[in-house]
Amino acid sequence: MRWPAPRSLRGRTVLFFGAGSFAVAAILAGSTAVLTRDYLMDQRLESVQRRASVDARVVAARLDTAGAQVDDILAGLNPFGGSAVLVRHHDRWYSSSLDVGPSAIPAQVSALAGDGRPALQVVQTGAGPTAVVAIPMPTVNGQLFELASLQELAGTLRALTVVLLLGTAIAAGAGVLLGLWFSHRLIDPLDRLAAASAEIAGGRLSLRLPATDDRDLEPLVGSFNRMVDALAARIETDARFASDVSHELRTPLTTLVAAVDLLRGRRDGLGAGQQIALDLVSTELDRFRRLLDDLIELARLDAATGTADSPEVDLRRLVAEVLRARGETAFLAAGVQCLVRADKRRLERIVVNLLDNARRHGGGVSGVEVSGREGQIRLAVDDAGPGVPPEERERVFARFATAGARRGSSGGTGLGLAIVRDTAVHLGGTAWCTSSPQGGARFVVRLPEARES
Amino acid sequence: MNAAAPICLMVVEDDDAVRQVLRLSLEDDGYQVVEARGGEEALQLLADADPDVLLVDLMLGGMSGFDCIREVRRARDLPIIVVSARQDTHDVVAGLEAGADDYVTKPFQIKEITARIRALLRRAGPPATLDPRPGAATAPESIVIDAGGREQPLVLDRAGGRVLLGDAEVHLTLTEYRLLLELAESPGQVLSRAQLLEQVWGHDYFGDDRLVDVHVRRLRTKIETDPSEPRLLVTVRGLGYRFDPG
Repeated sequence: MRWPAPRSLRGRTVLFFGAGSFAVAAILAGSTAVLTRDYLMDQRLESVQRRASVDARVVAARLDTAGAQVDDILAGLNPFGGSAVLVRHHDRWYSSSLDVGPSAIPAQVSALAGDGRPALQVVQTGAGPTAVVAIPMPTVNGQLFELASLQELAGTLRALTVVLLLGTAIAAGAGVLLGLWFSHRLIDPLDRLAAASAEIAGGRLSLRLPATDDRDLEPLVGSFNRMVDALAARIETDARFASDVSHELRTPLTTLVAAVDLLRGRRDGLGAGQQIALDLVSTELDRFRRLLDDLIELARLDAATGTADSPEVDLRRLVAEVLRARGETAFLAAGVQCLVRADKRRLERIVVNLLDNARRHGGGVSGVEVSGREGQIRLAVDDAGPGVPPEERERVFARFATAGARRGSSGGTGLGLAIVRDTAVHLGGTAWCTSSPQGGARFVVRLPEARES
Repeated sequence: MNAAAPICLMVVEDDDAVRQVLRLSLEDDGYQVVEARGGEEALQLLADADPDVLLVDLMLGGMSGFDCIREVRRARDLPIIVVSARQDTHDVVAGLEAGADDYVTKPFQIKEITARIRALLRRAGPPATLDPRPGAATAPESIVIDAGGREQPLVLDRAGGRVLLGDAEVHLTLTEYRLLLELAESPGQVLSRAQLLEQVWGHDYFGDDRLVDVHVRRLRTKIETDPSEPRLLVTVRGLGYRFDPG
């Protein structure tokens, strides 16, 4: 089984620090425990053996003395706390303690001692671990067995283990804390970078990251700022180009529109053919003018950023005014204000384009609705047409989506819905197409509600 | 139009074709048109031609349209309409701040321009005869704009169509005067930008709010004691403007 790795840099850093310090502390604690236990055990056993040898010499010396009683000798040994001394002399057992008898001596140890060889074994008894040392006393034909409790040593080792385990846990916890602090330090510049990026995307093109003297961060800050410089320059160039094109094309168009206007005032004086020619020029000029307006608007939308400076506009009121100005009979329910932050001209364009679209392609407007909910303002325009098939619903928003021939007869520029979508996106919202309950097409624009600034 | 005294327009435009077609179209509508190819020529012709309305393109060779408007404004109150191919916020606001009363963007239809001219001239005449709203006849001859806060009272003299600080006249353009009159006639009442656009400029709901904002700003510099903290012409956020008599 594979453990899922944390998905965030922060999580990975914390995990790395926590696991790392835990591993280091555990290795240190483990080796400390083993080495200490071995060393203390060796010391203790050595001292037990030394003591047993001394006792054996004393017992052997006394037994050599005539009339000596083994019990008296054992009583005189005065073994220290927890130790007991047993002596086997001429196959008789003597003990310094009433609690400890020959049964406490392991058979192996007893056998080795019987063969005249010293022996050492650690056994588990009811009173904890005990060291059993056997020292043969060949001069008096006997053996001395010393039983020393290791209970105290075991307690010391247990305490040591607890301390080391605790230390390991604390080290792991400290590692996690260090990881948190470190990841915060590590991520902080990234957080600031993300915040700056978000603000720049929102339209604050003048924003730059402050210079840093951190050698690792400097290239990042430098290249980020250069990227924003380039972006700002590009946007400005685009905006200026759109503006220049707009100016250069509008001036001759102004002359044409005004001149044709003048001719139309004299239309009655013209022959039938000339009238038709004039009407053609007039119609096409109007279309050209709308196409230019739409193209310029799209170019401006491409170059525009942010809506922070825009005023608040009541979309319900604006839609009502558009309907009134166009003499549309579509019903719009009265209701509360639906405030959005936007240029009034741009909003008007959205509404007009949706109404034009319904009239040109959907057999007329059958319903208009403006509503606000959960910080979103929604505008829906239904038409009385056959609806848009699902596979076409995304394509209708593309620029020049309408086939050329149909566009020519419908009088549209093929850019109306593209402008609707681009404007909605520019204002922080979206636009989409669905079907109305009556079966016609429903075009919906959703925009963020204006909040108190 | 009155044939005996045709209304005289001066068209300041450096593009020959646009200037010619404007002349033809406007003459066709009964106006008398004086052409100027640039800002300098316009200033030279101004005294002799004595036009009633000025149409100025912002993008002129030589002296810019902005400078031309500023220079004309120093001497005259006549209505000025900016005609520009640029409708970016920056250009429109700069033109209005230079002193223009209204603007039209290219390509326009002649009827848009003549409608603006008519709206501006409607209010350029004496207010008593060209303000036919009910109740206008019984309106007071003068409105005290600001009695306190300064040494002499600031008074709007309806009969004379001017604003007086004590005995001295405060110099307002006709649009500024009309805007002040609209607000001063409804003291303490909020007027929306759309209402002011309709009543002062004759625009509909889709008129440009910036017209109102720039003119209120200009008006404040002339009648407020501290234009940065307006006391008489108050902005009501999200709604419009309100006149509070001082």
